[in-house]
Amino acid sequence: MRKLLLKTVFGLLARIGRTAEGGFRNAGEMTLLVWRVAVATITGRVALRDVLIQLMSVGVGSIPLVTVTAVLSGVVTSQQGGYQFTSSIPLYVLGSVVTSSVVLELGPVMTSFVLIGRVGARITAEIGTMKVSEQIDALHSLGLDPVPVLAAPRIIAGTIAMPLLVGLADFIGVFAGLVAARFAVGLGPDSFLFGARMFWHSWDLLYSIAKGLVFGFVIPLISVHMGFKTLGGAEGVGRATTSAVVFMIITVLVLDATFPPLFLN
Amino acid sequence: MIEYSDVHKAFDVPVLSGINLTVDTRETLSIVGPSGTGKSVLLKTTNGLLVPDRGDVRIDGVSVYHSARDALTEIRRKVGYVFQYAALFDSMTVFENICTGLRDGEARRARTPEILRKVCESLEDVNLEPALVLHKLPSELSGGMRKRVGLARAIVGRPEILLYDEPVTGLDPVNTAAISRLILEIRERSHVTSIVVTHDIQQALEISDRVALLTHGKLRFVGTPASFRDSSDPVVRAFADRRVAAEAALQLVERGQPEEETEEEP
Repeated sequence: MRKLLLKTVFGLLARIGRTAEGGFRNAGEMTLLVWRVAVATITGRVALRDVLIQLMSVGVGSIPLVTVTAVLSGVVTSQQGGYQFTSSIPLYVLGSVVTSSVVLELGPVMTSFVLIGRVGARITAEIGTMKVSEQIDALHSLGLDPVPVLAAPRIIAGTIAMPLLVGLADFIGVFAGLVAARFAVGLGPDSFLFGARMFWHSWDLLYSIAKGLVFGFVIPLISVHMGFKTLGGAEGVGRATTSAVVFMIITVLVLDATFPPLFLN
Repeated sequence: MIEYSDVHKAFDVPVLSGINLTVDTRETLSIVGPSGTGKSVLLKTTNGLLVPDRGDVRIDGVSVYHSARDALTEIRRKVGYVFQYAALFDSMTVFENICTGLRDGEARRARTPEILRKVCESLEDVNLEPALVLHKLPSELSGGMRKRVGLARAIVGRPEILLYDEPVTGLDPVNTAAISRLILEIRERSHVTSIVVTHDIQQALEISDRVALLTHGKLRFVGTPASFRDSSDPVVRAFADRRVAAEAALQLVERGQPEEETEEEP
């Protein structure tokens, strides 16, 4: 019995150790990747054409889905807020609730989820497939560094596109909330905007864009890193993509939780 | 000249255990051996795609593993690599794929007609009609054509050394013969040093100046094709006999079987 207990405890400790080791290794490798991307960018080894191609894919290509997500976020927040404010709280407060919810939280987080699903998973699968089909080796053998060719354009594009997408999502979400408030609880646009302005801080928009900037950097960084680490065949690509998506969602949520204590106090 | 000195590599289990080998300038050496014995691993240590756990590889006296990054890039530019499954970039056309094989900056500096000429020449060198394949994506090509485009990409930069990783794997006998002929033609025309990793012993004996047999991570035999055929080593004999069996099977097919498709589907 004691032997079994010791075995279980040591097994658990070994597992924790392996997980921690993996975490530190990933962190180290990603730090190195960031450094190499920075050097490649500063030394002008990243082709503008590649960045523009990625911007089209990451930014312009994400607009329809970001729009749909933002509209639904605004509508749902407005409807649920309206449902809760029908008693003693003045209805115009709904304008503030919707605006703050969308700008501070839903805009950046929902947009990052869209980016994870639409762009992050694709990047990992794309680079992972290149890895297992020896295309990354082919780049090396041709004297080309995959960092400026593959990693840097995607990370730069994500960092540029995401804050813009978040700004767009904020605007659309608030507007959708305003329209929904009219139909859900009969709150007119003037009253909605009055409530929104009453508790509005200009810093909130900057805070939202800053979240977008950080998420837009981290999502392609993780997806590129996981793509480069892919091993095995098609199964390996699938496994890497799943791991990357989980890794990105957890990272975004953890970073999201660190923002309020750092910037809203 | 390529020199392998005491090259060791392990992936959980030892794969290469102290390889010492010299490949002379303009020589063609084939490395044969059973599957999983480390042939491709040895080839990948030649231009730094895999780093050996111990030992060194020197190309024209310059260490691949103890040189600065720029020197390694220069070494890689000297070496053309033909991958087992071609490793063409999926999102690029044949033209763009071959352009990546041009020397650093050349594609940017040279005028487009010059690049086009070089790309077309390399395609003609591998017996492909440029007009038919230039703007196609790799997914639109057959297996044999992909291999030849991979070869065109490797030779467009006029390398001094060519490394072939299983160049005929998955190809039918007609395409196998065509690729073997190409390797010989490129050697004659460009005077390159070549290392060919292959499981096709017949091809190895036809195209090589020397043949090396790799078993259990060690070189069992290194010598001319004639000495390989005449070797009394039972392991070498087993390989040589397999060649005889393969030849007999091919003759049987040629006598009795109707002609089938000549290109493997991608």
